[in-house]
This record gives sequence, structure tokens and C-alpha cells, in this order.
Amino acid sequence: MDFMNSRRNFLKVSALTGGGILFGLVFPSFETNDASTALADYMPNIYIKIKPDGKIVLMAPNPEIGQGVKTSLPIIIAEELGVDWKKIEVELAPLDNRYGRQTAGGSGAIRGRYADLRKMGAAAREMFVNAAAQIWSVSAADCIADDGMVIHKSSEKKLSYGELASKAVTMQIPANPTLKDPKDFKYIGTRITDVDVHSIVTGKPLFGIDTRRKGMLFAMIARSPAYGKTLGNVDDTKARKVNGVKNVIKLKNSVAVLATSTWAAKKGRDALVIQWNTTGKLENSSDHFAGFKEILEKGPTTVGRNDGDVEIAKQKATKVLDVYYEIPTLSHCQMEPLNFFADVRDGKVELYGPTQVPDQLRNDVAEKLGINKDNITVGVPRQGGGFGRKLMTDNGVEAALVSAAAQSPVQVQWTREDDMQNDFYRPAEMYRYRAALTANELLAWHQSAVGIGRGIRGDSYVAGAMVNYRSDSQGFNSNTPTGWWRAPGACTMAYVAESFFDEICLELKKDPVAFRLDFFKKAKDAPVGRVGYDPTKYKAVVELVAKMSNWGTTPDGVYRGFATWFSFGSYAAQVVEVKLEDGKPRVTKVYCAVYCGRVINLSGAENQIQGAIVDGINHAMFPKVTFVDGAVQETNFNTYNFLRMYDAPLDIEVKFVESDEAPTGLGEPALPPIAAALGNAIFAATGKRLRRLPFAGQL
Amino acid sequence: MAKYSLSINGKIMSVEADDDTPLLWVLRDNLNLVGTKFGCGVAQCGACTVDLDGEALRSCVLPVSAVGKRKVVTIEGLSEDGDHPLQKAWEELDVSQCGYCQSGQLMAASTLLKSTPDPTDQQIDEAMTNICRCGTQVRIRKAIHLAAKKLNTK
Amino acid sequence: MSTKTKFILVGLTFISAFGLAFSVSLHRPTEKDYISISPLKNDSIASVEAFKQVYKVLMSPRCVNCHPKGDIPLQGDNSVIHSMQPKRGKDGKGLYAMKCANCHQQSNSPGLNAPPGNPNWHLPSADMKMVFEGKTAHELAKQLLNPELNGHKDIKMLIAHADDGLVKAGWNPGEGRTVPPLTYAQFKKAWITWLQTGAYAPAQ
Repeated sequence: MDFMNSRRNFLKVSALTGGGILFGLVFPSFETNDASTALADYMPNIYIKIKPDGKIVLMAPNPEIGQGVKTSLPIIIAEELGVDWKKIEVELAPLDNRYGRQTAGGSGAIRGRYADLRKMGAAAREMFVNAAAQIWSVSAADCIADDGMVIHKSSEKKLSYGELASKAVTMQIPANPTLKDPKDFKYIGTRITDVDVHSIVTGKPLFGIDTRRKGMLFAMIARSPAYGKTLGNVDDTKARKVNGVKNVIKLKNSVAVLATSTWAAKKGRDALVIQWNTTGKLENSSDHFAGFKEILEKGPTTVGRNDGDVEIAKQKATKVLDVYYEIPTLSHCQMEPLNFFADVRDGKVELYGPTQVPDQLRNDVAEKLGINKDNITVGVPRQGGGFGRKLMTDNGVEAALVSAAAQSPVQVQWTREDDMQNDFYRPAEMYRYRAALTANELLAWHQSAVGIGRGIRGDSYVAGAMVNYRSDSQGFNSNTPTGWWRAPGACTMAYVAESFFDEICLELKKDPVAFRLDFFKKAKDAPVGRVGYDPTKYKAVVELVAKMSNWGTTPDGVYRGFATWFSFGSYAAQVVEVKLEDGKPRVTKVYCAVYCGRVINLSGAENQIQGAIVDGINHAMFPKVTFVDGAVQETNFNTYNFLRMYDAPLDIEVKFVESDEAPTGLGEPALPPIAAALGNAIFAATGKRLRRLPFAGQL
Repeated sequence: MAKYSLSINGKIMSVEADDDTPLLWVLRDNLNLVGTKFGCGVAQCGACTVDLDGEALRSCVLPVSAVGKRKVVTIEGLSEDGDHPLQKAWEELDVSQCGYCQSGQLMAASTLLKSTPDPTDQQIDEAMTNICRCGTQVRIRKAIHLAAKKLNTK
Repeated sequence: MSTKTKFILVGLTFISAFGLAFSVSLHRPTEKDYISISPLKNDSIASVEAFKQVYKVLMSPRCVNCHPKGDIPLQGDNSVIHSMQPKRGKDGKGLYAMKCANCHQQSNSPGLNAPPGNPNWHLPSADMKMVFEGKTAHELAKQLLNPELNGHKDIKMLIAHADDGLVKAGWNPGEGRTVPPLTYAQFKKAWITWLQTGAYAPAQ
């Protein structure tokens, strides 16, 4: 791309192909929020490009996986820059270290960049204003900037940013630009449609899977059918005879078939005769759960937090509630099956495809191929979902290896079965929760967890408000790979903790909303140890959702469940309503209140919340992965059941607590509480306490 | 390999493909019409939905040799200028998140509206079974209602 | 009238028709009039034995999956509700954007998990549901013979039905699916034997 060639000359006007102007700006580092540090000391960067017709292009630096940052990050720049949103264009930035952390994960893009992008936009705006003031020989204070124009207030003289660009880049970079007063925000907090929506609804090639290059071969790869098996003898005679197959390449533990079309590659791949040798343990899900249970019953576990003494409290209790919760292994199932384009020739590497971590991918490819990072480019298209799968770089690395061996540009395409059998799964887990109770008091809370690879990594809000609290956990060894899955840790722990809280409310005959508010009051007024959340914000979302749903006045035939959770910097509280249809619960409505600081794009933010709720209902209700002899049993949607329209809520009402604070995470926080809110509603409707996910088979 | 001449988006296009090649891959690999998406390969997710003589065909399981003279409409041909009432409703309500499944959703919705110009919620439940992992179903439902309104007030 | 209301009406009509027909058939000794057009020789023991074989096939996933008790077919060797919950529709061929033929092609689509196909893929129509799911051998035999419930098939037509393309498709189910417990030839023989030896229903 044109602007990639001008790395050294940001602060000068750079001629773009076609006569445009590249306007380079500085970007403060992410390590400091101290605006007084000389901005010019930082690495210059390129977020803004002005085209010959004055069209302004804003770069979206983080991968777009459906979380909306291709729209929301540029909104922040546009707001401070003072341009007309309708007249700007947005491009996804390629991998370039000057953009800082280019990761899609941990609900981090907006919260990591908000302050910096504002400052950057504001600095640019001031430079335009100063440029115009100098041209007109007036005071900058008498000029305003709006809709891509600088206007001299008294004379009403106007110059567009395009016209000012060459002058503006000679201006001194403001060390401490004045940010807009949020009262004057034009775009931030409003409803702005996704920048790609028109391309999406008209089927434009936006995704990695749509990559079509001259001379490109299509590849499919045969991988081990079970964890614990490795590649043995390969007979590719039949595969090579398949019409269109061009090449067969043996990799370390897999075999790639390259062909002139995806279908030919698939037929070739399926025609390989491969002997897979058992070289490791062939594991079963049933053994995982039996192992978890044993550890939870007999230990050992490692203590994560221990306030007061839960054992003494248990002795004092009139009842100890002691229950186990079970979480299955899950696959990611982003809708775009994995793929990657790679062209490795003459010591140079071009990579283009779906990844949430382009920088990590480049490092991994550099290491695998022994090629210097400077000779590797990574382009990141819009992605058909992420959910954590593409925090792993295997799909890109594999494509690079195939291309390098074939000396040809290739697109490696995964089938859904490939995807589901070669995932980094959300680990199976089991929890043991114990509560020491008297007739009307909760004396102690004791949570224990065992999961493949890891255990509990956090505390729920009862910690900090409980005198006797203990959290312990243990990892479980397995050769089934695990990874990050939307709202890792929180997505399962919230289900267990908030379902258990509901069980306690039932025992103590407490209202679930009122009882939680008691905890936030305790955490605020008389905290016990560290409080890892803000009780005031928790209270705010719980009260808001109670108000939205008119909590306490359930309509006839409607059953409700409540849950709340804090994760990735944000607070979400939810009320789920179910009705019974032929004795089976259907979610009709969900209310959700969110505290996430300032909302950037109201439409996108609501969409994330609504989507996380539907996603969470889906995974609470339907799918699970089962290992039998190391092999995944559910290899496609015919057995890995997924939510369809008829299972989705009819309506999801979302409200945000008004806030002037900097934005916090949004892609994940609404997912964790929903499984519990749903389970609690199902309990209200059916009297069944569902302590095992997924629910559907138990109803 | 055999030659097929297919009616796609109002044009006759000729392709050379093995007879068992699913229409999906003929569209994507032979004709570079990549708006029709691959999601599961077994007619479960609906990402590959095209309009075949008015029916919402899941093109990943339809061999090219079985298409015959039937008329194929893909997302690229849903409207000339991207202004089908469904497309407009999708934009207006900002339906998509990642966007990957939406072309299939739109093609399923467009066949629904052909037979049922003003569908009820129940009819939408019955007709729209495409998978969306982002969870845009609530907005999809609203957008179908909005498009129906647009269609019926035209 | 909304579609939902129509469904309910169709359903009610069906239920009452079924109830009536069933009770009538129980009390009418003339049932044989239409089922024993050309019996070889009535032989209740051989007939019942033959039907027990037939029943094993009809209750196998390949048959029962498209003869569900509700309006949604079943799928897989474990006969679970068909994913996507496609509805029967009036003609048994589906509804709206969810017609059977949207996924089930003229022949089996290749590959594991891919849909099986047949040019005539459908469920029994709404006015003749021919439910297998959950039926005892006795109930199923009676139902198969009842002209009110079997599409007014006499014994000749019932015999001919063994050659129906969709019936035969049960023995060509596509990758990864089990076939019925009898071979097609064994099934056809048992079916005809049952019908030609008096079409006796097992006691239970």
C-alpha cells in the first residue's frame, strides 16, 4: 500500500500515488498517559490520510472480528479531529509496530486506545487550526474546526483540511492538545452504523476466505483424527490422481494437498491413505470429569484466597450447601472456518488472513521459517468471528509452511470438521461450591475448581464482602489442547457463582436483587481484604436492571432469573424472562444493564451486548464437545447443536449507566452472567436446578 | 470435468467443473462470486444460501450437475444497486457484527418474503434457521419485519 | 386466518379424524374387506412373525426419522429432533425458506454429516401423517392397514409401496448412517408375506 513506503517522512508532505497527500502524525505510546511528555519523541505514525479530493481516510488499527472496532476506533479519531463522519473512509491497518498493540482480545481495543486516539485526533485538529491561522494571519483562538474545515469566526473564511494539509504538517506538534468537552461530542455516544455494513449486505469480498490471487493454489490439510495420534505412513497415490490436484506436501504431523480449486483440494485430501500411529494417551471426556471429581473430593488444591476461616464457619452452620457444577469442553465455531493466504518465495513472506494477533503470527512465522521479521508482511482482513480461536497462530503458520514447501502462493482452507477437531478448546471444568448457612445468614463461601490446564483465576463479588471466604483450584493434565474462549474464566465462573448465589437466596429466602445489594454495601462500607471491583458500579447496574425489568412484579406465565458479573473492566446485570412452551422454557426477553464508562458507538455497543447474550444463551443451552479415545465426537453442526432463531430471545433491552469515565471492555462482559440468569429463570419455571452445561438435554 | 452453463444473477455463465462440485465452490472458485459463504459444508449453517428458482437452497450440498436450467440468484444479484428492502433494513438497523453469515441470512429472508410478504414472528422462527454465532438474531428478526413494512408500503 | 390458527385447525381435524377412524376400525369386523384382496392363505402366526420383522425396520432410524409423532422430523442414528426444526408443511415438503429439498438433494450429498438425498424427499403430508414414532407393533400394523390413515391404500398398493423410491432410500443412507436391521430384500419379503398372509397385527 502506498503509505507503507514512506516510513521516514511523516512530518513532511508525501506525494501519494495519484497526487494525494499523506499526512503523518505522532502517536503517544501506550505505556504512559502523561501528555506533557514531548509527543515528538514518540514514534511517528499514520492514522490519517488525505486524498486528492480532500477525502479523509482513518485507519482502524485493531483486527475487526465482529466486535465493531473498525467503526468505533475511527469514531474516536473523527470526533476530536472534527471531520464529517459521512465523508470519511475507514481502512483496516496492516501489521505495523507503530500502531502499538494490534490485538483483538481481552475486550481491550477501546479501553487501551481511547485516551491516545483522542489526543492524536485533537493534536491533528490543532495543527489544522494553527495552519489556517498562520495563512490568514489571525489568532488560532479565533478559529474553529468542524466537518473537516477550519473557519475563521469573524470573517467566516474557510479552508478544508485537504487544502491545509501541506501547511499543517509543518506546524509544531502540540505537546498537550486541548480535548473536546464531552458535552460537545457529535459522534461519540451516538448510533453509528458499521462502516462495512453495505459491503456486507451486498456480498463484497471482505474476508480472508475471499482472497483470490493470481497463481494461487487451494490447499486442504489432513490432520490427526485424535489427540494422541501422530502421522505415520502416507500413501498419496489416489490423491495425486484427483482431477485438479497439483501437489502433496508432507508436514511434520499433517499432509497438505494443493489443487486448482477448494473442492479438488478437499477430494484430494480425502483420498489420502494415512496411517495414524498412537503415540500418546487417547483421552475420554468421561475420564476428565471423573478425575475432576476425585480432586474436588480429595484434593489437593491450591489456595487462591483465604479470608477468615471457612472450616470453623462450616462447623457453626446449621446447613452446609455442598454442590458440584459441570462445564463441558467447547469449540469456538467462529462462522468463518479458519483459512490463511501465504506467499513465501525468495525469502519474502506475505501473509493475509484471519488472526487476532498479527504480531505474534509474524514472530511465529519468522521463527518457523528462519526468515527475518522485516521480510514478513501480515495483512488482516475483516474476520468472520474470533471468540479467541485466532489468538492462536496455527492457521497462519501452517499456511506459510505449505507455501514455503510448495514455492507457490496458497490459500489453506479448513472445513468445519477440521476446525472442530483441531481447536484450542474452552476447557472442561468442574466446580465444588460450599456455603455455610444458618436459617437467615450466609456464614462462609468456599469455592473450588478443577479444569483442564487451569482452575479458577478470579474472585466473585462475595469476596470482599464475606468474612469467611475461600477460593482454591487445581489444574488437570490433558493432551487435549485448550485456549481462550470469549470471556475466558469469567464465562464459566459466573455461571457457577451466580447460580450458586441463587441457590443460597432460595435457602435463606432472600430476594436475589436485594441480597446482592447487601453484598455491595458490605464491600463498600466494611470491606474484607482486597475488593477487586467497584461496589458502587455493581450496585448501579443491578439497580438499573431491576428498574428496567420492574423487578418484583413478574407478569403471569413469565419466569425470571437474575445474575450479574464484572469482567474486563465492565459491569453487567441481567434479568432473563422465560415462558414455558409445551413444558419447555423459551427465552422471551432479556434486560441488561451495563456499566462500561463512556459508550463510543451506541449501536455497536448495544449489538455487542445483545450478541453476547444470544451467544451465552446458545452455549448454555446446546453445544458440547466430547472426547472419546482422543477423538472429538461432535465434528459439525449436526451434532454440535447451535441456537437458531426459534431459540433466540424475541427482544433484548439494553441500557448503559451514564458515565463520563473512559470506556471499559464491551466485547465480553455481557456474556458471563447470562448462563446463570437463564439457569435461574429455568429453575423458577421448572423447579429444576441445572448444575451441568449444556441445559437442553436436561429439560 | 464437464462444461455447464448456469443462469446466475440473470446472466448465463459457463463453467468447467467436476460434476460433483457443489454450486458453492463453483460460485466462489470458478466465478469469483465470493459473497456466498462456506460455513459447514453439510447444509447446517445456511451461510451458503442462494435463491434457486425462488427456494432457499443451501449451495454447499447442491452438485453443479444438478442445477440444470434453474435460475440462481446470489447475494451479488439480490438487487442491482444493493437496495433490496432487506438490504436497506439490514443497514438501517445495523444488523451485522462480524458480517460473515449475513449474505446467507439475507438470501433465506428474501425467499421467505417472496412466499410470505408479512411474516409473523412464528413464521420467521420457522424459516430462518441459519446460524449466527455473533448473536444477531434479535436484529435480524427486526430487520425482516422492517423490510416487510418497506415492501408492503411500496 | 393466521398460519398458526390453520395449524391448530388442521391438527384438530386430524386428531378427531384419527380418533374416529381408530375407534371405528376397532369395532368393525369388516376391516379385512379392504386388506385381503388376494391373500395367499391366511396364517396368523406367519403373518405376525413377518410383521415383527417389518416392525424392526420401520422403527429403525432410517424409517422412523421421517415418520415422527410431531411435525418435525428426527435425525441421526439416535433419532433426535432434526436440527433447524424444519416443519412438515401441508404437503410434507417443508415451509418457506425451509423446504426439505433446500438441503436434501436428488441423491446423497457426499461426505460425513452431509444430508442424504432423494428426488422425492419429504415427510408424510399433514393430512396423512403416518406416525411411526412411539407406536407399538400392534398400533403400527393397524395404522398401516387403515385406509383412512394410509392414504386409501389397498393391499395391492401397500405391496407396491415397498418399491417406493423413498422407502428404498433407507438402504442407501449416505456416509456414517446405519442401514435398517434387515436387508431390503428381506424386508420386502417380510412385508409382502405379512400382507399376503392376512395382515394380522401382533397382539401388542
